[in-house]
Amino acid sequence: MQSTRNKLIEILSNNQETYISGQLISERLNISRSAIWKHMRELEKDGYVIEGKPKRGYRILEFPKKISENTLKWGLETEWIAKTIIHKPETTSTQHIAHQLAQEGASHGTIVIADEQTKGKGRMNRKWHSSKNEGIWMSIILRPAIPPHKAPQLTLLTATVLADVIMKETNIKPYIKWPNDIIIHNKKMSGILTEMQAEQDQVQYIIIGIGMNVNQDIKSLHKEIHTKATSLKMEADKEFDIRYLVQKILQQFEKTYELYLQKGFPVIKTKWESYGFRIGEKILIKTMNHEWKATFSGIDHDGGLLVRNLDDGKMEKLYSAEIDWFRENS
Amino acid sequence: MLTIEEIRELIKIVDESSLDEFTYETNGAKVKMKKDTQYHEGYTIYQPVQTDEKTQEQMSVETMPVQSDSKQTETGESSKKETTSDYDHEIVSPMVGTFYAAPNPESDPYVKVGSEVQSESIVCIVEAMKLFNEIEAEVTGEVVEIMVEDGELVEYGQPLFRVKTT
Repeated sequence: MQSTRNKLIEILSNNQETYISGQLISERLNISRSAIWKHMRELEKDGYVIEGKPKRGYRILEFPKKISENTLKWGLETEWIAKTIIHKPETTSTQHIAHQLAQEGASHGTIVIADEQTKGKGRMNRKWHSSKNEGIWMSIILRPAIPPHKAPQLTLLTATVLADVIMKETNIKPYIKWPNDIIIHNKKMSGILTEMQAEQDQVQYIIIGIGMNVNQDIKSLHKEIHTKATSLKMEADKEFDIRYLVQKILQQFEKTYELYLQKGFPVIKTKWESYGFRIGEKILIKTMNHEWKATFSGIDHDGGLLVRNLDDGKMEKLYSAEIDWFRENS
Repeated sequence: MLTIEEIRELIKIVDESSLDEFTYETNGAKVKMKKDTQYHEGYTIYQPVQTDEKTQEQMSVETMPVQSDSKQTETGESSKKETTSDYDHEIVSPMVGTFYAAPNPESDPYVKVGSEVQSESIVCIVEAMKLFNEIEAEVTGEVVEIMVEDGELVEYGQPLFRVKTT
């Protein structure tokens, strides 16, 4: 069914200028005229607008903007990512669903995507406001054959993927705040939450959660984050097709991930640093017992944060710390 | 425990690496290697190796008692406890990062001393570069000791919990 419908969409979209006869479709797909009609009805439910004229045939007028398993799959040029798509109009959190699916054995590349999250999850269970049809709320399940200590590199990788897509689609240069927040004009536009289940030397699964503000206006962003958050629409001054963006992200992700497996982290590091937020500037670092100022020098070959301590001039590498990026230099 | 061969191997690895300095610490003993290098970009990385802690190693390389910082008391305590506390499994950190005892600051910790765990019970989270790694017990038994504090930085291979398996 699924593949017939995808083929049907393909035929229609390759013939957008002219009508294509029911007879021809019927021969190409080897199904009856009434079966074609049923498929057309289903496509209309997904948001396709199809015109049918007696004696001339069918023509596709409009592609759907709304997200469904079908609309995401159509035109998606990937080998392994999103071969299984779980779409929920509303859910608590895509991370939550993805964890359940992964524990039940969901395969590498499975994605969970929602129109709306009621309990969007940020770091340490901080809330992420994920309003209906205005953003990308998605989780990717991965089962990579890499040692667990290398897994954090995937969060940096994902950040470069989002930055690449934003750059290409908007022409606005995004920055990546170490390790993985996407910043435009000093405001957060996208966040990534990566969770892993691993044994000492083997990764069971990794779930990469992506939250991206796309079509929100300042009104629809929660008041408490007005000064800290932004959306693609607010920055680029136009609406974006979420379905299209999701496909671009998935395609770019697959490409980058393959590159990473072949060539390792150095290629990701170079890309990451080209988007690096506040490289060369002073930042304030906090750990449980200390607080100190340092210059952010870049990232190391494994993704760790390299900073030069302002007191003793020594270079340090950090994997985990609270960093105050926005404090004025002093 | 480290043998002379292993130390030789370590020296070789450190020598060939871009490291300036290398420190390895275990119960009461510390190995520190330092290169005389002109690199200005050098930095320190700790890479503890998990070893049998029961024997105090005589090392031909620079061996010294651990400095009298907070670590000393910890190490001292744990070595004392070794003889008294009854455990046969250590849950160690699979990566460098921050140790979190609870899923979020408002929640209760995943486990306490005395908690019964199954092999798939989550005992803590270790976070590095915003990747949150849920650590499973991997054994069935009782938690007899928690060796790190909430929010503490932990190293690769550092023991986090001691478990008496059942």
